[in-house]
Amino acid sequence: MISLWGDMNRRGQVVVALALLLLLVAPLGATRYVLSVLTLILYFVYVGQAWNLMMGYAGQLSLGHALYVGLGGYVSAALWVHFGIGPWLGVFPAVAVAAAFGAAIGWLGFRFGIEGVYFALLTIAFAEFTRIGFDHIGFVGGAGGLFIPYEEQRLGQWWNLRGSQLFFYYLAFALAAAAVLLTALLARSRLGYQWIAIREDETAARALGIDVFRAKLKAVLISSSMTAIGGVFYAFYYNSLFPAQLFDMGRSIELILGPIVGGTGTVFGPVVGAFILTPLGEILISVTEHLGINAPGAKAVFFGLTLMTIIYLVPTGVWPWLSRKLGLARRRP
Amino acid sequence: MRSDNHFRPSRRHVLGGAAAAGAMLAAPAVVRAQAKALKVAVVLPRSGLFAAAGQSCYRGAVVTPKVLADLGYSVELVHVDFESNVDVARTQTERAIAEGAQCVVGAFESGATLAMAQVCEQRQVPLIINIASVPQLTEQGYKYLVRNFLTNAQLVGNGLRLVKDLMAATSVPFKNAVFVHANDTFGTAQRAAMDRLFPAAEMPFPLLESIAYDPKAQDLAVEVTKIRALAPELVLVTTRSSDAIKLVRDMVRQRFEPKAIISPGSPGLYDEEFYQALGPLADFHLYNLPWANAKSPVTQALAAAYKTAHPTNRFEVDCFNAGFTFEAIMVGADAFKRAGTADGPTLMAAVKTTNIAEHVLTGGPIKFDEKGQNNNIQAAVVQNRNRTPTVVLPPDVAVAAPVLPMPPWQGRS
Repeated sequence: MISLWGDMNRRGQVVVALALLLLLVAPLGATRYVLSVLTLILYFVYVGQAWNLMMGYAGQLSLGHALYVGLGGYVSAALWVHFGIGPWLGVFPAVAVAAAFGAAIGWLGFRFGIEGVYFALLTIAFAEFTRIGFDHIGFVGGAGGLFIPYEEQRLGQWWNLRGSQLFFYYLAFALAAAAVLLTALLARSRLGYQWIAIREDETAARALGIDVFRAKLKAVLISSSMTAIGGVFYAFYYNSLFPAQLFDMGRSIELILGPIVGGTGTVFGPVVGAFILTPLGEILISVTEHLGINAPGAKAVFFGLTLMTIIYLVPTGVWPWLSRKLGLARRRP
Repeated sequence: MRSDNHFRPSRRHVLGGAAAAGAMLAAPAVVRAQAKALKVAVVLPRSGLFAAAGQSCYRGAVVTPKVLADLGYSVELVHVDFESNVDVARTQTERAIAEGAQCVVGAFESGATLAMAQVCEQRQVPLIINIASVPQLTEQGYKYLVRNFLTNAQLVGNGLRLVKDLMAATSVPFKNAVFVHANDTFGTAQRAAMDRLFPAAEMPFPLLESIAYDPKAQDLAVEVTKIRALAPELVLVTTRSSDAIKLVRDMVRQRFEPKAIISPGSPGLYDEEFYQALGPLADFHLYNLPWANAKSPVTQALAAAYKTAHPTNRFEVDCFNAGFTFEAIMVGADAFKRAGTADGPTLMAAVKTTNIAEHVLTGGPIKFDEKGQNNNIQAAVVQNRNRTPTVVLPPDVAVAAPVLPMPPWQGRS
């Protein structure tokens, strides 16, 4: 926390403090619609940050991160639906299962030297066969889905994640803030420096005495565990889980777009990315509607074009460019 | 120093000011509640995975205000595309309600519908489901939700009963059957319903096997080989349009000719792309679904408006999706007319007491049970004839007699 704060100059500190304050008081002035969009943004900040640790810092490309969202969501929801175990307790087995899958992927990949796009293919394969597996597990509803019952008597029970939109907003805010802090902490830790060394040159890192296998495995474990907590949030926010939706490749892409646009390997990249992409989608819906463009998919076309433009103009991500332009980072001697 | 003419607020002033401020703040809600036309958000998957069905529903929704106006109802529609994405369904429902929608209709897909149901419940805005068959939707205790559609179990139950009626009407018996289904959310739910209902339905033939397939598969040659080895006289199918095409193509390739291919309640066999891809091979397949009752004046009015608005589309093909979407909006409009207000709780109470005798689809009056489910929807047997869905049973709504067994693949023109 202190190192994150110290990395910013006075202007940067003011901007971050103001943004935090705005987010804290946003429910006072925001409509429920704006609040639901903000909740979604903060959720994407959280899961994007989890992915950023693995790809942005440790350099391990995962294109199947929806796997951990799905596992986290399914384990916690199944424990609640079948055994009445609340999500605050259910989150531990959810994290354990996701971490076990992460460890399996990591062990397979790193033990047998599967790297780069081949490692990415491995992550996709795991997400896909888990999806197919969940299609057939009757205990969690199979392809027909798992539903968390809507129970009027439980409304407002925040300890069972049965809260209102406002509760979920603050929960997403807390998760996102915690993820940013954890990333900042890890980035300045011994492990973080090991990840960066591996990302830049694995052979050189090994020559320096870094236990590459262990460091990369830690990245996968931390990232999968964090993402699973995002899955618990998703399950209790939407109250329905379908394998085809949750483990889908499209979901994985959705999770990683934020950090890519914002800037991988930076603490604030996933934050900026999520704050660009989700509102952009909503704005484009409004704009196409108000312009009377009644072609379905028009929004997707505009969205794609905007993304291409952003990536063309700032290929390393928006945050590094923005912090440079606004002079938010402390200049190093 | 104090001035004598300085304004000193009294308790009366404060109370008066508070009342005025309250009235100002409440004004939009009051105006909304007293609006002359019901503002309905029609939330559909008009792009993304379910775009074809969403577009079909949308075409029905577009012509609805005019048809309803002729029937004495007044609605204003807000069209929302949720892009087959649950996140978008939730946020866009919030937006539509924030912008004044007093009733929500949707959403074809069960996951998105559930996400919308939570928003509608919290905002006390009625959600009228046009199409979504997952039973849990009406089993979760939502107070602001009704469904004018069948559950999976009802779809399959009706479908099996009509197979018996079909056998009786044509005097063509089946010795055995195989059930082939897509391994997706809908297909698996239908499989579960089939496993439960087939033994209870006391069908006069055995179900040899249920065969699942991946709807994303390039072809269904392996599955058809399996079916062929079992030599069933009847193939029961739960498909989507693209895999229905693959299934029939592989049957033709392998020269496998059952007496009938019947869907006990699924799409696929009546989509425009199915007709275009298969030509004459698309004919004589049967599906047991609620269908537009051509003898109803409301259906005739909707069909006429549809043909004018969408000259390049066929109402006969779209009537299932378009009809259910129309009926869902009609339920809201009828409740609004009876309640005289769009105030959420009052409007919902009126929705719950709906009793619409004259409507588009086959079945009795639109009524909802205490859970919000309409149990009066009746399926019909529909057969493709000259690439047009044609109701062949029950006799009171049939416009042609069923053809069974279906003619061989060879020699069709």
